[in-house]
Amino acid sequence: MIHMIKKHKNLLNYSFDCIKRYRMRTAVILITFLVATTMISAVLFTKDGLEREAELSVEAAPDLTLQYLKGGRIELIPYSYADVVSDIPGVEKVLKRTWGYAGVGQYTFVVVGLDPEGLGYSRGVITSLEEGRFLTPEDEGTGNIVIGKLLAYMLNVRVGDDIILLSESVEVNKFHVVGVFSDASSIYTADMIVMSLSDADSFFSMPEGYCTDLCVYVSPAEDPVSVASKMNSIPNLRVLDQDLLLRGYKAAYGARGGIFTTLWTILLVAIVLIAFSQAIVVGHESQFEVGLLKTFGFSTLDIIEVRLVESLVLGFFATSLGMLLGFSYAAFFNAPGLVDILLGWAYLPREFRLPVYASLQSIFSIYAVTVIPLLITTVVPAWLNAITDPELAMRRAAA
Amino acid sequence: MMRRMIVLPLLAIIFTAALISVALYSEVHWWGREHDRAIREVLGFPSIAVGTNYEGTRNPLLEIFVRSLYDVPGGYDYIVSSSFIDTPVRLREYREHIPGFNFTAVKG
Repeated sequence: MIHMIKKHKNLLNYSFDCIKRYRMRTAVILITFLVATTMISAVLFTKDGLEREAELSVEAAPDLTLQYLKGGRIELIPYSYADVVSDIPGVEKVLKRTWGYAGVGQYTFVVVGLDPEGLGYSRGVITSLEEGRFLTPEDEGTGNIVIGKLLAYMLNVRVGDDIILLSESVEVNKFHVVGVFSDASSIYTADMIVMSLSDADSFFSMPEGYCTDLCVYVSPAEDPVSVASKMNSIPNLRVLDQDLLLRGYKAAYGARGGIFTTLWTILLVAIVLIAFSQAIVVGHESQFEVGLLKTFGFSTLDIIEVRLVESLVLGFFATSLGMLLGFSYAAFFNAPGLVDILLGWAYLPREFRLPVYASLQSIFSIYAVTVIPLLITTVVPAWLNAITDPELAMRRAAA
Repeated sequence: MMRRMIVLPLLAIIFTAALISVALYSEVHWWGREHDRAIREVLGFPSIAVGTNYEGTRNPLLEIFVRSLYDVPGGYDYIVSSSFIDTPVRLREYREHIPGFNFTAVKG
């Protein structure tokens, strides 16, 4: 037993010495793996973060969102639909929502008008404000608003200030800021201007008795999908459930991440080729060495063990360091350069940080596509060398 | 001499352990993330504020996909399509997994 441990310890030391001796191969593998894993991990972790954020939003969204379709296009939904849907068994609450977009400077902001009935409907306490307070039912029609950090930063406004927004119908609308959302919630609220339903109706010049969509909350004991199926016969109604939204957003972020993943796959193939060519070169250089080792009594398995340990050390060192750098690059510096590819035409407000999620699944995936190919590309040439007759190997190397 | 030889293997172990720690922290952080859930429940939007500077960003589901085909026969919105590696029509997810995404005309 002691003899075995001693043997493996010596093989280990010999492997570490080889890493130092074959400097060129070590440097090539370290640099290429480091660059590749840094880039791919930054993208994968950001993609996972965006997906998770979307997931959290969908989980917190109403059980069903109802839209009115006319000629396949979304139009305003009449208030009367809220009464019809309320009567369906299993429906707990139906809230009206008016929302749309408003251009301020070069950015587009989301103006949301909330039903006063829904302001106390949350299951938790709203703690996402940096200063001021959230809206209450008493704010209905008062012009009081809560804004995201992006708008607060752009217009340099604070709680207590008044702001004037120009609507689509070229009317001047004055609002009073009663709250500013916090940095921590910026991924969700950066572009928001939240006001009461009647203020939003007035801002968008909505026709009487119409809103943008309806939010339906189903009783906890009921299945939202079966409640949704009872709405099939209501004309012009489009019902979106949480599962549908979740799959939609996952597909969208997944496809965006796909661009970079494809580019990286090409890069990975190049890396494997580099690693393989280095292994061949080293394999050729070490032919004499392998012949000598075998003459001294090393078995084929011993030689493979030496190369295996070398590859594991190099692979884990470069890949782990690369992923740590990728994580820091995305989490602390917002991944400049890469984020533009990931978000396409989307922009990232200065006010929030990229959501970065270093999931165990992504980390093991990266290990699987870097360390395993490296092991194969180094162990196979080593095995080919090791099974050659030692005398022949030394003669070939000397020739 | 021996000490210098084990620097790289030692660092490999340290970096791997550090990475696993970061991953575990990240997993715990994301699964326990509740601080802005209440505001998401009140506003009810399923999307996040990664703005695209064009309308449709926050609309539940529809625009995020349909804008990629645009509302003109034969039209194609390059804003969204530029974000995809492939045309959405050819992506299986859009045809089979998202019932809300309805194609009225599919070749073949």
